[in-house]
Amino acid sequence: MTDRHLRISVAALSTIGAGVAAYLTYAHVTGSPLACATGGCEIVQHSKYSELAGVPVAALGLLGYVALGTTAAFRSDVVRAAGAAFALAGFAFGAYLIYVQVELIDALCQWCLTSDGVLALLVPVTILRLRSTA
Amino acid sequence: MSRKRLFVVVAATAILLGGGLIAALVVTTRGSTGPSSTAPAGVAEVATMLRDIPQHGAVLGSPKAPVTLVEFADPQCPYCGDWERTSLPVIVRKYVRSGKVRIVFNGMSFVGSDSEKALRTALAAGEQNRLWNVLALLYLNQGTENTGWVTDALLRGIGNAVPGLDTKKMLASLHSTTVTQKLAAAAALAREAGVNQTPTFAVGRTNKALTLVQITSLEPSGLEPALDAALRE
Repeated sequence: MTDRHLRISVAALSTIGAGVAAYLTYAHVTGSPLACATGGCEIVQHSKYSELAGVPVAALGLLGYVALGTTAAFRSDVVRAAGAAFALAGFAFGAYLIYVQVELIDALCQWCLTSDGVLALLVPVTILRLRSTA
Repeated sequence: MSRKRLFVVVAATAILLGGGLIAALVVTTRGSTGPSSTAPAGVAEVATMLRDIPQHGAVLGSPKAPVTLVEFADPQCPYCGDWERTSLPVIVRKYVRSGKVRIVFNGMSFVGSDSEKALRTALAAGEQNRLWNVLALLYLNQGTENTGWVTDALLRGIGNAVPGLDTKKMLASLHSTTVTQKLAAAAALAREAGVNQTPTFAVGRTNKALTLVQITSLEPSGLEPALDAALRE
C-alpha cells in the first residue's frame, strides 16, 4: 500500500471519527436525545464518566480526530510518529471506556463503540505509515 | 532517528497520553462502585433539567431567590412521583432556572421501609449537593410501594449516573448521624406544619413565614398561581 493510500485512509477514518465525536459532543452540550439502537447511549452520555474536568470526553475525542486527520496532510517522520501515537493513545483510552460502559455504567453506547472501531482501524494504518518511512 | 528508536518514542508517547487520560478519568470519578449496579431510567432528562442550577443540601436554586417553595414528599408516594415527573421540570424551567424560586425538599418516610432507604440515600447525596439529582432519578424509577424496589443495585446505578457524586461516600453515609438527624428534623417540620398528606407544598417569600398551599391538580397549574402570587408580594 502506498503512502498516498495510507494518508487517504487516515483522513477518511479521522473524518468518520470526528463526525461521531461531533455528534456526541453536540448531544452532550445541548442535552438533545441520541439515535440509539443499544438503548444505553444517553445513560453513557450523561454519566459521570462523560466528562473529564468539566470537558466532555466526546469533545476530547473530536480534538483527537482533528489532530489525527491533520497528520494525513504531512509527510514528515515526526508528524507520522505523532499520528501513530495519537491513534494508540486514543485506542487505549477507548478500550478503557468500553470497560467503564460494561462494568461500571452497565450500558453501551453504539456511537462510542463506533468510535472505538474507527480507532482500532487507525492504529494499524498509522503504524503502517510510520513503518513505510522509518 | 533509527526505526527502533522511533517506535520506542511513539510507544512512550502513546502510553503517556493514553495512560494520562485514563488516570485523569479514574481520579475525577473516584468513588464509583463496581458491577452489580442497575442502570436507571431518565438519566438524560434529569441531567438536562438540573444542569447548572445550584444545589445546597436539600435546596435547589439560587439562595437569593425571592420566593421559597417547600415540597413535603415521600419517595414512595405515587402522587409525589406524578408531580415530580410532570410538574417539577416545568417549575424548574419557569421559576428555578430564572432565579425566581428556590425549592426545599422536606422528605417524609411514612409509606414504608423503602421510603426510608430512598430518603436516606437522597439526604446522603445532599451532603454532596446532589440530592435533587438522586431524588429525581428515584422518582423516575419508582416501583410499587413496599416491594423492595429500592435495591442496592438501583442506588448504585443512580449514584454512578450522577455527575460529581461519590457513590461510595453516599452509600457509606446512609446511616450516619447527620443523615439520621436530617431525617428526624424533616419529620418534625412536617408535623409542625400540619402536613398529613403528600405531596404538600408551602410557599412564601424567602426567609419569611410560608403558607401551605392546597393544590387541586398535580399539573404545574396546581402550584403556579401560588408561586406567581408570592412573586408579586
